[in-house]
Amino acid sequence: MRKIFSTFIVLAVAIAAFGQAKKPILMVVPSDQYCISRGYKMEFENQGMKQVLPDYKAALQNDPDLRLVITKMGQIMADRGFPLKDLEQELKNLEQENAESMMLTSKSSASELAESPIDALKRVAKADIILDLDFQIKRQGPQKYIVFNLKGLDAYTAKQVSGVAGAGSPSTAASPELLLEEAVLSHMDNFNAGLMRHFEDMFAKGREVKVQIKVWSNWGEDLESEFGEDGEELSEIIENWFFDNCVEGRFNLSDASENFMKLEQVRIPMMKTDDRGRERAVDTRSFVRDLQKYLKDMGIPSKLYLRGLGEAWLILGEK
Amino acid sequence: MRRLLIGLSVTFLALAMVLPASAQNRRERKILWNSQYNYEIEPVGVGQDGTKVFKVWGYGKKVNDAVMNAKQAAVAACIFKGLPGGAGSAPTPPICSQPNAEQIHADYFEKFFEVGGKYLQFIALTNDGEPAGADRIKMRKGYKVAIYVQVMYDALRKQLENDGIARRLDAGF
Repeated sequence: MRKIFSTFIVLAVAIAAFGQAKKPILMVVPSDQYCISRGYKMEFENQGMKQVLPDYKAALQNDPDLRLVITKMGQIMADRGFPLKDLEQELKNLEQENAESMMLTSKSSASELAESPIDALKRVAKADIILDLDFQIKRQGPQKYIVFNLKGLDAYTAKQVSGVAGAGSPSTAASPELLLEEAVLSHMDNFNAGLMRHFEDMFAKGREVKVQIKVWSNWGEDLESEFGEDGEELSEIIENWFFDNCVEGRFNLSDASENFMKLEQVRIPMMKTDDRGRERAVDTRSFVRDLQKYLKDMGIPSKLYLRGLGEAWLILGEK
Repeated sequence: MRRLLIGLSVTFLALAMVLPASAQNRRERKILWNSQYNYEIEPVGVGQDGTKVFKVWGYGKKVNDAVMNAKQAAVAACIFKGLPGGAGSAPTPPICSQPNAEQIHADYFEKFFEVGGKYLQFIALTNDGEPAGADRIKMRKGYKVAIYVQVMYDALRKQLENDGIARRLDAGF
């Protein structure tokens, strides 16, 4: 009892002290199975292999049931303080942004916007937690019922952080729309309880992210090169840095060679105090930037490449 | 005579071992009636937006007392125990996920559940006529009755979040 009480107090104090951490973005995305099985798909040849991808735009434009479910879920999540990023609107925004970027030129020299191929690739609909949705209206004789499946997936760690699934009760009289609404209302409280457990874990043990250390091929050194006064291997120096800076030293070096290190389950603190003594929210970029500075002091330049709130790559050798 | 005495002793010992395990004395029954964990819930379907509908049982010396007890149990179940799934509805977790919330916030809940207390604000609908038939069980001293309730679940959650009893989903962000 005393232990539970003290844990709660520590958690409450920690949350109060942390203030405003970086809020994850949530977005409902129909599952690949949902889109492809209903014909909302794009097919193309990739090096002789037929590849099938979901066509979200077609699904959202042609499937009223999907729109109904997304709207209902959005309403519930907004009420809980997590307004969902709307996939349809995001796709429209991206198209508009593409068009505007291509047309935009500077007034004095008519220069175009700088954009690398990577920048163009990065212009896709993104969220930190994807609500992967799938449902089916099934029939059993004259009765209809809904099979509902919703997964909350962390976009970076690929872990399922919450999930609900189940079949509703069969009905002859109720319309499919009503049954769908019932399915959402019925499952969302349980789904949100799963999300709550994930957030509580995040505040207690830090945000779980993924970091990759890579090496430019023209560097001339690699992760087995020795640095520092003690002549430690660079991979060991980096591992020690993670141990010192992760919450309770929690991280997992899941794979490594002389050219890369893949660090998963890296628990980064939610907040930190900056050089000016201000409390600031931490994301993977700011966390790895500290490592970048640490390595720079050792004479190792690097490029920091961000893949979202929860994943970053540090590429050693040059910017 | 000796065999009779041995027989009686064995019978007495056996009764002494069995009786306390099965019989409920008046005090135990009272404790059971007043137990804050003894909520009997039966889901009956999916409620409208932000509500939960279910059948709940209550105990009381009179039928009206039992009905009020059932209303208390309905709100308390939403807060501490959660609702089981069934009749098309999925299980609902308790609003207070924190272990032993009822003890940690004992003062708050004592006031919340007092006679005519704030808990009644979150009961939107009951079949408040006297329960009859299978929903009204006459016990040795009192009644066990069942009522159908609609609890304003989202409003209840928001009240507890505003009062600092339950944690908001976006707390800390």
